[in-house]
Amino acid sequence: MARIALRGLVKTFGRITAVAGVDLEIGDGEFVVLVGPSGCGKTTTLNMLSGLDTPTSGEVVIGDRVVNELEPGERDLGMVFQDLALFPHLTVFENIAFGLRVKRVPDAAVRARVREAAEAMRIAPLLDKKPAQCSGGEAQRVALARTIVTKPAVFLMDEPLSSLDAKLRVEMRTELKRLHRSLGATFVYVTHDQAEAMTMADRIVVMDRGRVQQVGPPLSVYSDPANRFVAGFFGVPAMNFVDGEVGTGGQFQAPGITLDLGGRGAVPGSRLALGVRPEHVRLADDGAGWPAAVSLLEPLGDGTLVFLDYGGPASVVAKVDAEEKVAVGDRRRFTFRPDRVVFFDGATGERALR
Amino acid sequence: MTVRRRLAPWGRHAALVAWAALVLFPIFWMISTSFKDAWEWVAWPPHWLPHEPTLHNYRQVFTFTELGRELSRSATDQVFNIWPALRDSVVICSLASLASLLLGTFLAYAVSRFGVGGKNFRYAILTIRMVPPIVIAIPILMYYAIMIPHTTTVLFGARLSLFDTSLGLGLLYTVTTLPFVIWMMLSFIDEVPYTLEHAARLMGAGRIYTIRRVVLPLVASGMVVTFLFIFILNWSEFLLALTLTHPNVTTLPVLLNKFQSAVEGRLYGPQAAIGTVITVPVVVLGILIQKHLVKGFSFGMIRR
Repeated sequence: MARIALRGLVKTFGRITAVAGVDLEIGDGEFVVLVGPSGCGKTTTLNMLSGLDTPTSGEVVIGDRVVNELEPGERDLGMVFQDLALFPHLTVFENIAFGLRVKRVPDAAVRARVREAAEAMRIAPLLDKKPAQCSGGEAQRVALARTIVTKPAVFLMDEPLSSLDAKLRVEMRTELKRLHRSLGATFVYVTHDQAEAMTMADRIVVMDRGRVQQVGPPLSVYSDPANRFVAGFFGVPAMNFVDGEVGTGGQFQAPGITLDLGGRGAVPGSRLALGVRPEHVRLADDGAGWPAAVSLLEPLGDGTLVFLDYGGPASVVAKVDAEEKVAVGDRRRFTFRPDRVVFFDGATGERALR
Repeated sequence: MTVRRRLAPWGRHAALVAWAALVLFPIFWMISTSFKDAWEWVAWPPHWLPHEPTLHNYRQVFTFTELGRELSRSATDQVFNIWPALRDSVVICSLASLASLLLGTFLAYAVSRFGVGGKNFRYAILTIRMVPPIVIAIPILMYYAIMIPHTTTVLFGARLSLFDTSLGLGLLYTVTTLPFVIWMMLSFIDEVPYTLEHAARLMGAGRIYTIRRVVLPLVASGMVVTFLFIFILNWSEFLLALTLTHPNVTTLPVLLNKFQSAVEGRLYGPQAAIGTVITVPVVVLGILIQKHLVKGFSFGMIRR
């Protein structure tokens, strides 16, 4: 009942194109996260879905209806804003009740439903307070309670956790997932935080420069990126990129690194970028791989980041076991896990040699 | 600590006290005179405080009935007392301020949210106030006394004159204070985050409902401050009232100027009494404004 379809959605502000043609299908009850750097069009896309922005062209379908012409309040949506947008002059109770009051729900029903929502979000003791008297996490729950009280089919969230401190953010992530499971509603969540996207999403929609770059489950977006942007966006520390070209023998060649491409049909002379995540870079002891100097160590506790100067323009970062004996200045050889190396077209950045 | 440093606060205080004395002296003199009988008004050497304090002046201006022999002075017989002027002032100033506040608040909302009038509109509004009132006083007099009555007579056969009416002066007060209201309310409405209205809209609230339930409550204290501010302006307005009214409508500042008698000269006592009475609301409102301004705005839950 609450499937969502965005069809050829475009939004321009004057000469600036914020969203340059987005097509997306979201299933009923799905938790979809729109993720990308600021200015990528994710919030504008969400605003067109909510009706706060009008699309320049394209269609927004919620359920079976094209809702382009409907007011935001008629779309059966609930939204949590980045700044929460709690009404500072109203009590927590009246904040939660606001949507019901608009719909002229009888007073007794308002009280029952507000109480129910408040209990679901565990904020019942706060009902008589003003938002300013709530802590950050409590205010967050009030905003959520205000959204669930009207029982919308679709929840929209615009970076709702961005102003919480790190610990609270992780807690609220879990809370949101639980809420999603218990409500069974469709969630569309916007964030620039890849960790939020990875941990919460059923499917991730990666956006950049107004376009959808890739859609898929978190792990497949992580391990099977569609292009260099997606590959670089996910992962801390970021994926290593090595720019090079295909040699005459069909092998990948870069300063200091040569890798056999094993007859994957590379065209000799074409430019390629190799991508490999730090956890798939290994320090080799058996004389295989390429020589490098250890220039920097960053211990993380559960592992150590080793910066390897192999002669290219940037270091290759390897994430190795914390027990690995390595010191700055060591000369070590390194290899890549062959099945985890990905290639991108040197010019377009799209995946190559799949 | 150097001598200079130790003396600096004293010096500053001395300067401020001297300045305060300079500013407050006329007010002190007015209040003092209001309690003096006629022979003390211009006594020499001056009587700083009335030697024989009397409420005579107040009785004179506040009396309801015909003045008896004991109270009567020829000039006060002309002007009589404060009540009609007080009524005119209160009615005109409150209604005009209220009208201006309502119009200006909604205009400010339109400017803030829809960019009505373009980017520089808010500054253009303020420049309107830079026109000295004397520039508009005479043209408005022409309109009120001649052109509007004449035109309505020709067109509708009924003579409508705005000259010497509460409506005429009130309209003008509304218009002249509107720039202040727009300017002040703009700063308050700009402070209300858009997302509050977006949130209300997503919950199904219409524009009017949102303004009534969300925006206006948040700018209420701003509206109070603005109202008091323009009320004081209107309350003490003299030039337009002097030009555009006589004899039916008289506001307090105009009345204040009328205590002149061929026999007795200027009647300082009753004048000072009225001056004191007029000043009281201004001072009270001023203190109220200060409280509100200090209280200021606390959008506690709007994280920025």
